[in-house]
Amino acid sequence: MVLSSRTFCAHVIIINFLLLLSCNMVYGTPTDIFCLESIKKSLEDPYGYLNSSWDFNNNTEGFICRFTGVECWHPDENKVLNLKLSNMGLKGQFPRAIQNCSSLTGLDLSINKLSGTIPTDINHILEYVTTLDLSSNDFSGTIPVGLANCSYLNSLKLDQNQLTGQIPGQFSTLSRLKVFTVTNNLLTGQIPNLRNISADSYANNPGLCGSPLPACQAPPSKSNSAVIAEAAVSEFIVCHVN
Amino acid sequence: MKMGSFLLLVVLAFGLVLNVSANAEVDVLYAWKTSLVDPNNVLQSWNASLANPCTWFHITCTSDNSVTRIDLGDANLSGPLIPQLGQLPNLMYLELFDNNISGAIPSTLGNLTNLVSLDLFLNRLSGSIPSSLGNLPRLRFLRLNNNSLSGSIPESLTTIATLQVLDLSSNNLTGDIPINGSFAFFTPASFQNNPGLKPQKFPPPPPMFQIAPTPSAEGPSSP
Repeated sequence: MVLSSRTFCAHVIIINFLLLLSCNMVYGTPTDIFCLESIKKSLEDPYGYLNSSWDFNNNTEGFICRFTGVECWHPDENKVLNLKLSNMGLKGQFPRAIQNCSSLTGLDLSINKLSGTIPTDINHILEYVTTLDLSSNDFSGTIPVGLANCSYLNSLKLDQNQLTGQIPGQFSTLSRLKVFTVTNNLLTGQIPNLRNISADSYANNPGLCGSPLPACQAPPSKSNSAVIAEAAVSEFIVCHVN
Repeated sequence: MKMGSFLLLVVLAFGLVLNVSANAEVDVLYAWKTSLVDPNNVLQSWNASLANPCTWFHITCTSDNSVTRIDLGDANLSGPLIPQLGQLPNLMYLELFDNNISGAIPSTLGNLTNLVSLDLFLNRLSGSIPSSLGNLPRLRFLRLNNNSLSGSIPESLTTIATLQVLDLSSNNLTGDIPINGSFAFFTPASFQNNPGLKPQKFPPPPPMFQIAPTPSAEGPSSP
């Protein structure tokens, strides 16, 4: 069977496109550059930390590895391993564009002015995260259940925010979790069963209860007559003792 | 006659210089140079008659003239890694990535107790990862990806507490992926493209914590 020249060209174009795609997938570099560009665009950077260092004009191999806060897998390959942007006065919402840094394992956004909610689909945004520090920001809303599917989490720091609601019970499935802090939030309810996490990790959340904190109080359910009867009984016992 | 004695002096002086340059680290590195094929002549400055290797290109030393870094990434080198490379006691960075280096990783590299970075990625290394590498207490970067390494991942590597970046991807490794010790921090990206490696297992979750009945819930029972 002889292919017409047009069909043959189409096949060549398709094959070339697929080869190009597969090369990108093996080396992962274009998405990581796009990841950092998008993060820079989505965040306010009042002190210019990102503005001064994150220069996308000089496109040499591994150039993003020299950016402030960026740690790469290999020195000359644009593949982000960790992003450490602590204490930079950054403002805005959680930068969802981080999803494009598909090889990211560590994210530190602590001590900034980030606000809004932690995305509910965070396990798709940070599928392989091992260390996540969102502490000392202005995050509000609840702790997403999705974090329980970030199975590689070793360290999760959410302290010093305005998070409400309960700590998802499903967190007990995080088998690698060794460090977990939620101090100084507005969390309530029963603490899930997490190994090796001490009471200090839950401090300053007025509504949190359950081991390792004091047990949760059941809501009062006594009727008025029961209260009066109890009072009479205790008086009776007291009188008889005397 | 004057010419003869002059020549004798020259020969003696030369001999003296050669004796002074009997430096162990020079010997190690020069022996390695002779086993390598170096088409780009990157090792041209590696002169065995010098007192120490510290003026050689691609070598960095301590203030005591002992080798701390070998930087030969992307140098088009072929040949083996010789066992004597384990006799560089102050070596911290062994950067040999992106070459044509072949053969096995010598187990003597486990003697490099000051090693912080072992970058042998993008070469043609074969054989197994020596379990002696688990003896490297300061190792932070272990990047052996894109070689033809076989066998299993030594459990001893999980004992290296300082390990920050591990890349064993694109090899022919087989068996289980350890998940304990320092390996709790490593994700599939560190191991991908090893068809014989079994995927990491996650232990079953503990039973969901039930709310325990509290003694104060009902109050003292009525008579």
